Amino acid sequence: MPRTITIDPVTRIEGHAKITLQLGDDGKVADAQFHVTQFRGFEKFCEGRPLTEMPSLMARICGICPVSHLMASAKACDALLAVEIPPVAVSLRRIMNLAQFVQSHALSFFHLSSPDFLLGMDADPAERNVYGLIRKNPELAIDGVKLRKFGQEIIALLGGKRIHPAWVVPGGVNEPLTTERRDQILAAIPEAKAIALKTITWFKQSLDQYQEIIDNFACFPSLHLSIADEQNKLNVYNGNLRVVDKDAKVLATGVKPADYHTLIGEAVENWTYLKFPYYKPMGYPEGMYRVGPLARLNVIDSCGTPLADKELAEFRQRFGRVPQSSFLFHYARLIEIIFGIENMQKLLDSRDILDPFVRARARPNRREGVGVSEAPRGTLIHHYKIDDHGQMTFANLIIATGHNNLAMSRGIKQVAQHFVDGNHLTEGMLNRVEAVIRCFDPCLSCSTHALGQMPIEISLHDAAGKLLDVARR
Amino acid sequence: MPVQTITRKTETAKPKLAVYKFSSCDGCQLSLLNLEDELLDIVGAVEIAYFLEARRAEQPPPYDIGMVEGSISTPEEAERIRQVRRDCKYLVTIGACATSGGIQALRNWADVDQYKQYVYAHPQYVASLETATPIATHVFVDFELRGCPVNARQLLELITSLLKGRKPNIPNYSLCIECKRRGLPCVMVSKGEPCLGPITQAGCGALCPGCHRACYGCFGPMEQPNMDSLGHQLTGTQKRTAREMKHMLRMFNGYLEPFKQASDHYERQEKQNA
Repeated sequence: MPRTITIDPVTRIEGHAKITLQLGDDGKVADAQFHVTQFRGFEKFCEGRPLTEMPSLMARICGICPVSHLMASAKACDALLAVEIPPVAVSLRRIMNLAQFVQSHALSFFHLSSPDFLLGMDADPAERNVYGLIRKNPELAIDGVKLRKFGQEIIALLGGKRIHPAWVVPGGVNEPLTTERRDQILAAIPEAKAIALKTITWFKQSLDQYQEIIDNFACFPSLHLSIADEQNKLNVYNGNLRVVDKDAKVLATGVKPADYHTLIGEAVENWTYLKFPYYKPMGYPEGMYRVGPLARLNVIDSCGTPLADKELAEFRQRFGRVPQSSFLFHYARLIEIIFGIENMQKLLDSRDILDPFVRARARPNRREGVGVSEAPRGTLIHHYKIDDHGQMTFANLIIATGHNNLAMSRGIKQVAQHFVDGNHLTEGMLNRVEAVIRCFDPCLSCSTHALGQMPIEISLHDAAGKLLDVARR
Repeated sequence: MPVQTITRKTETAKPKLAVYKFSSCDGCQLSLLNLEDELLDIVGAVEIAYFLEARRAEQPPPYDIGMVEGSISTPEEAERIRQVRRDCKYLVTIGACATSGGIQALRNWADVDQYKQYVYAHPQYVASLETATPIATHVFVDFELRGCPVNARQLLELITSLLKGRKPNIPNYSLCIECKRRGLPCVMVSKGEPCLGPITQAGCGALCPGCHRACYGCFGPMEQPNMDSLGHQLTGTQKRTAREMKHMLRMFNGYLEPFKQASDHYERQEKQNA
């Protein structure tokens, strides 16, 4: 057991990935740990501040998915105001959230992950990045940039800017949609849809060559958690919590966001600052569950939009009702991009989307509120308490990367046991560990390293805890 | 602030750019990546020698331009920024965290140990400084770009000016000027909102007043802000309490001097009233 934990430079929800492997007496990998070292203290410094500030303040947790934190935070505040926000405000928030899904999934799939499977795991790291991708398959790379830009521009059109937009507020949104902006978004949809469909067709054609990866990359049974609407359809903005197991058995459904603590417990280990949420009824660590694109598709009955449902049916035909390989996160992302584009179109086509009633105004009316929504990487929970003056007294945040923490460590262990032998580390080993982490697309700062390598540090310890080897890149 | 030309007389190669990250959310670096249309031109004009903390720098230092995001909040970071300064001829900070300490600088008014215990079950493993401080507290900084996050156009202007060796055209007047230029109705006069626009530096294009919302100071204090005047207006006409004033000023740029002084003043007032 390594006794020192270093705080890495990145000190927010995410940080550099740091991994510790422990060898047993036989020289084989006995355990693997995925460390996240971050410390910014958001839960604490919001204390005493008015709840109306929360969405803007919480958005600053992350510059990669600020929209997701805005959504969960605004919903927790809606609960504190005890208001039902206007229907068109729900639609507008949903559009922004879907745009965030499209841009984030595009970044993950095209910029970060596709070099792995397009150029091969053993390719030279200098080549295995987005530049190598541009040389090998420029069309795919340009499609990726376009799709990401499509999502980003919708966020900017709605919220004024792409990062930390100020438009989502407790009670709804600040400003109605204009005809001009609606038409601008609608005009961009056909091209985005064509790109998404083209990409999924290409991905499916090349799936066969990944069979070995699919079987070995963090492929193990676990529970899956996500929100779903009343008909158990995919809804990434609003819904109740639902949990399924590996045999598609529904363990919990229709659990109100406010009751999240009946489902989720949080364990702590001394080697990482990231807590370990687990499914409470099964205990720790047996109650390991996954969240994110694959979990969502496993939890829901259908997407609720025609093209995405067609793809979902084919996906299930290929891999079963509840596939377990984390490699399929990539496939699931592509289906969700299609869902996002279709759903946005549906919302924008509705007659009342330009309605000026977009905000419910109220004073705080409840002392405790929980907001749950789906971020691209999985379920995001914001839980707030306030005093009589509407000032924050408590905040608890459970983020997607946290939910996946147990499964991620498990996935790394599986890969390490497969590839690490003896007392030294090889490049191929690093590539594969990196790729496993990328399947989960954790919100680490490395998720943005489109122009470089993922910073990663792997240390190898023997049974007595002695450091044998450190590999850094 | 004097701006010198980046010398590249002896070198035929393009100037080398390095981008560093300290404690922050990544948003400002992403603003750089979000310059999709201009990014290729930038990549054409400079050599990106070190970006987003790739551990193995493709190009060894020295670098011509260093861009720093994030504040200094761990002992390791305090060491690293000194090396960064040595490695870069011209060092600019991008965004509120690097320029003012950012939102995490709120802990500078609190007991960090309390924070750690609150969030982590094993706080003894957290190696963190008592404070989160701006880059300029630790090393000399050649230019500071404001904003939470930075404005993409201003970022582009900064890069362009550095490459051309001229002074960046970044105004330091108040947000009110941008707001008036857009012809927006004043949210303070027309809606009685507590707007920080009069003391906040322009740069965002008056985003919040543009959607009927009061400015909350993402760009930090303008040059020589009249804190007293706005304070009288907000505590007098709008009847804001000292506590509200303190919270308003202590957001993303609360640790920058004029905001810090004023918020400390309101904190003392709050204690007197209590």
